[in-house]
Amino acid sequence: IGKIHSWKKVIAQSVLLVLPTAAVGFYMLWNVNSYYEILQNDWLMQGLYFASGMALSTLFYAYRFRFISTAAILFLFYFIAYKVIGNVTFGEFDAFFASVQFLIFSVLFSLGWIAGFGFSRSRYFTIFWSIFLLALQIIVVSKTTAINANALISAFAPFLVYAFYIIYTAELIRNMNEEGKGFFWFLSKRMLGFAFVIIAMLLGIFTVFQKDFKAIEKEWGGSEAKYDKNGSNSERMTKENKDGSLSNKNEMRMTGSLNKGKRLVFVAKLDNFFNDGKTPNPLYFTAYYYTKFDTLTQTFETDSSMPSNDLFKPDPSKIPLYFAKTDSSVIKNTGATKYRKVVNADVYKVLLSPSEYLAPSTAYYCQTIGVPNDYKDQYKSAYRAKMWVSDLNSAYFIYNPAGNEMLETFQEQRFSKLREIRNFDGLDAKFKSYYTFMPGDDDYKRIAALGKKITADAKTPIDKMLAIRDYFLSKDEFGQPLFQYSDNPGIPGIPSASKLNYFLFENRKGYCAYYAGATLFLLRSLGIPSRIAAGFLTVDRSSKNPGWYWFYEDQAHAWVQVYFPGYGWIDFDTTIPDVNTQQASQPDQTPPLDMQQVYLVADGEVLNVDTVAKQVRMNVSNLLYHDKNYSTDSAEELMIDASLATVSTDTGTVRLSAVKKGMHITAASYAEVLKNLNATAEDNMVSIFKKIPKPVPVDEIKIIEKDEAKKQQKKNVNELSEPIDWLRTLWITLIAVAALVFIVFASPSIIWQVLNTRAENTSDAKRAAFNKYRAVMYYLNQLGYARDNKGPQQYALFIDNKFGTQLNNFSNIYQKLKYSSASLTEREQLMVNEFYKPFIQQIRKQVSFKTRFSRFLNIYNTIHYFNQPKINKA
Amino acid sequence: MIETVQIDQALTNIQKLTANIETVIRGKRMQIQFILTALLAKGHILMEDNPGTGKTVMAKTLAQSISGGDGEHGVNFKRIQFTPDLLPMDLIGSHIFDDVQKEFIFKKGPLFCNVLLADEINRASPKVQSALLECMAEHQITMGDVTYPLEKLFFTIATQNPVEMEGTYPLPAAQLDRFFLKIHFGYVDEETELNIYKDYLGIQSNLEHVQQVLSMEEILFLQDEAEKVYMHDEIIAAVRNIVWDTRKHADIVLGASTRSGITFLKCLKAFALVNGRTFVTEDDPQNITSAVLDHRLIYRNKEAKQKALANILDKELNRLSKLKIGG
Repeated sequence: IGKIHSWKKVIAQSVLLVLPTAAVGFYMLWNVNSYYEILQNDWLMQGLYFASGMALSTLFYAYRFRFISTAAILFLFYFIAYKVIGNVTFGEFDAFFASVQFLIFSVLFSLGWIAGFGFSRSRYFTIFWSIFLLALQIIVVSKTTAINANALISAFAPFLVYAFYIIYTAELIRNMNEEGKGFFWFLSKRMLGFAFVIIAMLLGIFTVFQKDFKAIEKEWGGSEAKYDKNGSNSERMTKENKDGSLSNKNEMRMTGSLNKGKRLVFVAKLDNFFNDGKTPNPLYFTAYYYTKFDTLTQTFETDSSMPSNDLFKPDPSKIPLYFAKTDSSVIKNTGATKYRKVVNADVYKVLLSPSEYLAPSTAYYCQTIGVPNDYKDQYKSAYRAKMWVSDLNSAYFIYNPAGNEMLETFQEQRFSKLREIRNFDGLDAKFKSYYTFMPGDDDYKRIAALGKKITADAKTPIDKMLAIRDYFLSKDEFGQPLFQYSDNPGIPGIPSASKLNYFLFENRKGYCAYYAGATLFLLRSLGIPSRIAAGFLTVDRSSKNPGWYWFYEDQAHAWVQVYFPGYGWIDFDTTIPDVNTQQASQPDQTPPLDMQQVYLVADGEVLNVDTVAKQVRMNVSNLLYHDKNYSTDSAEELMIDASLATVSTDTGTVRLSAVKKGMHITAASYAEVLKNLNATAEDNMVSIFKKIPKPVPVDEIKIIEKDEAKKQQKKNVNELSEPIDWLRTLWITLIAVAALVFIVFASPSIIWQVLNTRAENTSDAKRAAFNKYRAVMYYLNQLGYARDNKGPQQYALFIDNKFGTQLNNFSNIYQKLKYSSASLTEREQLMVNEFYKPFIQQIRKQVSFKTRFSRFLNIYNTIHYFNQPKINKA
Repeated sequence: MIETVQIDQALTNIQKLTANIETVIRGKRMQIQFILTALLAKGHILMEDNPGTGKTVMAKTLAQSISGGDGEHGVNFKRIQFTPDLLPMDLIGSHIFDDVQKEFIFKKGPLFCNVLLADEINRASPKVQSALLECMAEHQITMGDVTYPLEKLFFTIATQNPVEMEGTYPLPAAQLDRFFLKIHFGYVDEETELNIYKDYLGIQSNLEHVQQVLSMEEILFLQDEAEKVYMHDEIIAAVRNIVWDTRKHADIVLGASTRSGITFLKCLKAFALVNGRTFVTEDDPQNITSAVLDHRLIYRNKEAKQKALANILDKELNRLSKLKIGG
């Protein structure tokens, strides 16, 4: 059976048509797989079905096969295979499963087969194919994605580019003369031109609409949210780590919808009560302060360079069990002296990341504590925090249990105290300007105007704060609430439009990020230093265990903090309650109440582990004994009895065999034998070790992960999630393509310059003649007078005839130099020396500049010059 | 050490000869050059073309331009019209009984001449053809016990008619090999043709009174000089490459032999001398490769005949033209 296409053409088709189409196929299947369960997330295999169908068909139809008959054979194949599967597989479910798999295979393979046939044979196929793919994409998008401008652009842009590309390239390949020389050269030249045009076009679009696209990019790519299981345009207030645990995020965006889970994150005991000593005063647990706002992406971000940094952010997983970390500089930085006290909080982590530290502001102390044995299954780790807490602070602000007299009195009392602050004149200028910074856009002027309007009657900062709260709670002229809480507020149609303005003036629906963000700028526009705090909101639901709070995923929250000189930062939550899902309170369970008294904590490196005797020998570098810390430079050896100990890591309980030589561990003991073995003032680590029984029984061993391993892990994650700067990539590609084009056009001239210089500056007589002859040949060739198969004399005569030059004389002398043993006569030598420059001048005079210029752009001539004829070998 | 060619004298002689022939044969400089090349290379030439293009006149003029021993007439010129009934004897000669001497004496045939025109060689039977070609190759004739050497200057111009192929015996490749060159005589260009018509009487009288410009000795001298033409190693390499490529080329069934290569070298030298040079240049293979090699090769098809050799030559000339010289 004869061939229709040459191998050259088949290769061009495979590389330029089949490969990109396979890539699009993979992308589309990957996309579709995340929505349709029947596909079972096997996109790689399915993509291969499609690609192999296409590749096989392209090769197959390069031969003279008819489509109808071959397709009929293919379908016969399918039919037989289907029957075989039906007979071979046992059980209803298996049969169903196998036949579904086979159906998917046959559909995709056939699709690929048809595509391959189309690429190979049909001229108009690519048009129909593009339309088909676009239609398919429309169906997929309309069924799976919220239809808005952004979604459509990012869903269809690649397909449109593909459609242009495939139609253009297919036509290009079809019209090529595959017999002619330079087939691939021709092809690459065209592709280069096409790439240039497309990239220039995209670059133009990207540059003009950069702001919009950046916003889209931020919204669609770049952040981890994109890889959420739900995959859509939604935001979470927390992020899920690799190990499945949760953390707060160090940035907050305003998006079309908020995704909230219902799982328990942590449990905390907070020793903060109102003056009566009984009623618990809940406080919000803070993870981060968002002091910065990125106007381009409309994202609230943390800023490590914020003035008077008062964020204490230790990593509890790095602190050996029962050891503490303190940073009292944060207390100084808050500048709060009035109505402050130290409050304790114990946090028991469930889903919360081991490295996460949450505490009401202003925390300055973190001690890791053990989880009581009975609760080890439930809580992974725990720590105790100490805070420098304001008496005037409370979670109660917008959530005000109505009719609670005591609370109302408390609110009145604290507001009246705060009213003493009438302005912020005495504040450090840098501090004040940092915390009252507003972007200069018109969008924010509108917010400022609103702020002025609603706080017209308020004199003091706290009154303004109250006015803003009341504005969010106010009712419109129909008696309906002006603002509503919504997890799915939607976003403005234009990606770069201000979401805050959309929230404040049009939509008036939103979740905490919107309320906090709006409040922040309303406050800042009034010159009130404020910032956003992120963490968890605290709800007092339990009357059984006062001071115990339960934190679920949907309690991840953001609110505003206002700075009052002397009183420090005070929390104000302006997010109005969700009327639809009004606090469907979750059952609180029993808190881990029975705390044990720890007598000995040894921190150090494992020397060896005896899993049979359940003993561990370790080098202790830090020791806590009856709450007193001993440390030594030269580690002391200690034998511990681990027969009763629970061994744990950051992520959960493990067996003793997980403890390996060289690991960093902390061993804690609650053993009664140690209770009365008190240490005296003179004791050091060695003397204590002498006192205590050997081996000392321990109840808890905690393995502390090495820093490097963690860092490496983190780095990997960072590297993966680094968003691609498309604009830069495009620029680089464009420059590369332009450089290529330039090289293509400039190379004939560059080569000529090199040859010309050599011709003029060679001293050796023979070499000079050669260089001159070569330069002349190249020059004439580039001007379109190729030597082709003419002999030197024939060619020289042809040129002389054309230009009236003396090339033949020179050529003859050159031939003599080259092939004769005789030496040149003086006359001939003179001729060689004086021939070159006048000759080039003469040619130059007779060929117009325009012609010369255009001919020197023509790389075909250059290729022709350097091209070596090849013989067709048997 | 190769003796230097006495170029001035050789050149004068060649120019004289060429000019003399051109008084009769107009607009055929290239063909005249080829014929002289074959003559100087001590070879023979096969001309192929339609009747009436001047092949016979050409041979005749050449013979008459060279003076024989007597100084009056040209060298011994014989013409044989080949026909299917021609016998080898008719060429070589035969033993006949001499009544006076009472013994058989050898009556020399037309082959014992200086310039032989073998017209329409493909019309004779293979027997005759091979007899002729043997003589051409060995320069002698053996009859019985006696070997008769041919003349020192023995030059055959054979012609072949490409039309009317019925009843002909095309020469086999091995025999074609004996001809150094095979050329197409071809028609003259329009202008020359017009000139010929205007002056046909003059040409006629020129033919009848061709001057004898060179002696046979001078021709033999030129033949010796041709051997001395300088040949650069690269040209020899080029000849080797061309010969090898004809063997490797996909469209050539039978490539050139080593003997062809040697012939090629001889022809190149002679051609260079004919063109007034004492050394071979790129132009020489460019001009004569086709004449020397084309008839020795067997091609796969007609299309290949037009392309293959040109392709090989093109490649080799490309290589030569880009050779670097000097330090």
